[in-house]
Amino acid sequence: MPDGYHGCYLRVDVSRGSVERVPLADEVLRQFIGGSGLGVRLLLDEGSARLDPLDPAAPLVFAFSPLVGSPLTTSAKFAVVSKSPLTERINDSLASSGFAVAGKSCGCDAIVIVGRAPELSVLIVDDGQVRMESAAACAGGTCQATEAELRSRLGANFRIASIGPAGERLVRYATISHDGRHAGRGGSGAVLGAKNIKAIAVRGTQRVEWAHPRELTAISKDLSRRSFGPATAKYRELGTATNLLTFNRFGALPTRNFQSGTFDEAAHLSPEELSTTRTKTRDSCVTCTIGCEHIYSLGEAGAGGQVRVEYESLFALGSLCGIGDADVVLRASQRCDELGIDTISTGGTIAFAMECVERGWLDEPWLTFGSGDALLRAIDLIGSRHDLGDLLAEGSRRAAHAIGHDSIAIAPQVKGLEIPGYEPRALQTMALGFAVGARGADHNRSGAYEIDFSDKVDRRHVTPDAVHHAIDTEDRAALMDSLVICKFLRGVFEDFHGETAAMLHSVTGWDVTADELRETATRIVAAKREFNLLAGWTPAEDTLPERFLTEALPNDAAASLTFERLEALVTEYHRQRGW
Amino acid sequence: MHVEFLGVSRERAGVAEMDVQAETLGCLLGALAAMPGLAELIAVDRLHPSLAANLNGDRFISDPETPLRNDDRVLILSADAGG
Repeated sequence: MPDGYHGCYLRVDVSRGSVERVPLADEVLRQFIGGSGLGVRLLLDEGSARLDPLDPAAPLVFAFSPLVGSPLTTSAKFAVVSKSPLTERINDSLASSGFAVAGKSCGCDAIVIVGRAPELSVLIVDDGQVRMESAAACAGGTCQATEAELRSRLGANFRIASIGPAGERLVRYATISHDGRHAGRGGSGAVLGAKNIKAIAVRGTQRVEWAHPRELTAISKDLSRRSFGPATAKYRELGTATNLLTFNRFGALPTRNFQSGTFDEAAHLSPEELSTTRTKTRDSCVTCTIGCEHIYSLGEAGAGGQVRVEYESLFALGSLCGIGDADVVLRASQRCDELGIDTISTGGTIAFAMECVERGWLDEPWLTFGSGDALLRAIDLIGSRHDLGDLLAEGSRRAAHAIGHDSIAIAPQVKGLEIPGYEPRALQTMALGFAVGARGADHNRSGAYEIDFSDKVDRRHVTPDAVHHAIDTEDRAALMDSLVICKFLRGVFEDFHGETAAMLHSVTGWDVTADELRETATRIVAAKREFNLLAGWTPAEDTLPERFLTEALPNDAAASLTFERLEALVTEYHRQRGW
Repeated sequence: MHVEFLGVSRERAGVAEMDVQAETLGCLLGALAAMPGLAELIAVDRLHPSLAANLNGDRFISDPETPLRNDDRVLILSADAGG
């Protein structure tokens, strides 16, 4: 067994409360590393692609990595991998931080959960020993309240990942939350909820060896030093929210359900303005030297508590719903965190419903663009699945099928996953990345927007010449999600594959090269594709909603896409992938 | 010509926009490098890789010899625009 690993995973059947320690072959670890890659490999081995993701037999994987527990900055991350109840395709969501270290210290490289507990339960993995306790006292509780209750009950050295009320009610984009962060996209919280598991608590004492500790220490120190430099200044000084004004300036800020790329009230939501009216603190994940989390006070003198501010939440609950009142948007983001729902899918589904109301397709006159009361009411309805919330809890694609009127043309999703805050017509390499994404429209699995914000392409008229760039960003993301290290480090690397190969060598002892890691990344992307094929994927899914291919942006006629142009990009992508 | 700062470059410059006399991108960046907050982000006539320059909201430019006109607007923004 290579260093950096325990060489096994725990397979827990929560129907019976039983656990099996399953060995992991060295070649599997080397081929898929950990995190997303290992998670997808385990799902394929479980034969789960054809299962209903909410079926008790459908596995949910928590995957760690060889770098977890090392001094490498940002390495305390874990992947949650399953079939998505929102897309019916592969879903891998990542989160930080202490849960990853504590989970790996249980003496395993992954935890695979199957079955359905007879009552709402907490799964406790205590140094590799598994037991279950009733979670009845936490029923209906928010993610934060559940975590606090369980740490109080079990002890402060447990690390807890939990679902909120939305996960219990199987909202298809429910999250799994840990320490205020979320494995957010694709509905892994609903998968856990379907297993009647409110939370997983982990602690352990089992450590792995590092193959070359001195080398690892030197690499870690150098990486940490560089992570304080200009390459991460954006995340440190303003956070991801700084995208808001930049995207607005480029007509790429999705507004009113993608009816526009600019929002008149964007400045009110920007971190530059938020900082002048609210107190702000910063935080970081375990082992992270960047500190990207910008936490703002809410309400009069901070009476409404605090909320982490991210670009994706500001866009989805702000401009996408036509809301420029920062208090409302921050409160909405905080409420999503409490309920345990993905802010992007929440905002995307509500904005879609708002446009349906505007067009007379949905008889809910209170649900209008720009209404903060409507946004907050809709979020609570989703969390409880009451009234209209029961439909919106299904996500925009299923809601469109129920509403009819060809509303699927304006449902802001790919493969069922709501589109993040990147207007595809203004950022067309990203449009390709969205169209072909294995888990649907996603900015964390394709970083193709970086190409649009460079001199490599004309972002509003991207041609097949750009496809190899999109593939490269997708492969890099797959590698980072499997190592696992944070993507906010990406600008720090001068030789990404060479440096990550050196990291992996120092931890595992493998004589791994940059070229091998390029092949590994391609293999992991292909494994996701293999899962999707088994789940029923067809080429017709690799596209964008009709709106993006038939309507130009109102204030930017040059920002237009057509079926033919997108198809040419997708066809070239498939050709270069060898699919 | 006119310069617009977005994100970190705005924080460092201390202003959202300003007018600068410059005939090329290299000359412009040389002038901006004299601003204390921006010095770390500009090496002589080139931006640090974490920043990008855009001409008139249309195309991104990096060649220091790129000519600029008086009515041009140059946007300085983070290169890693994503979240």
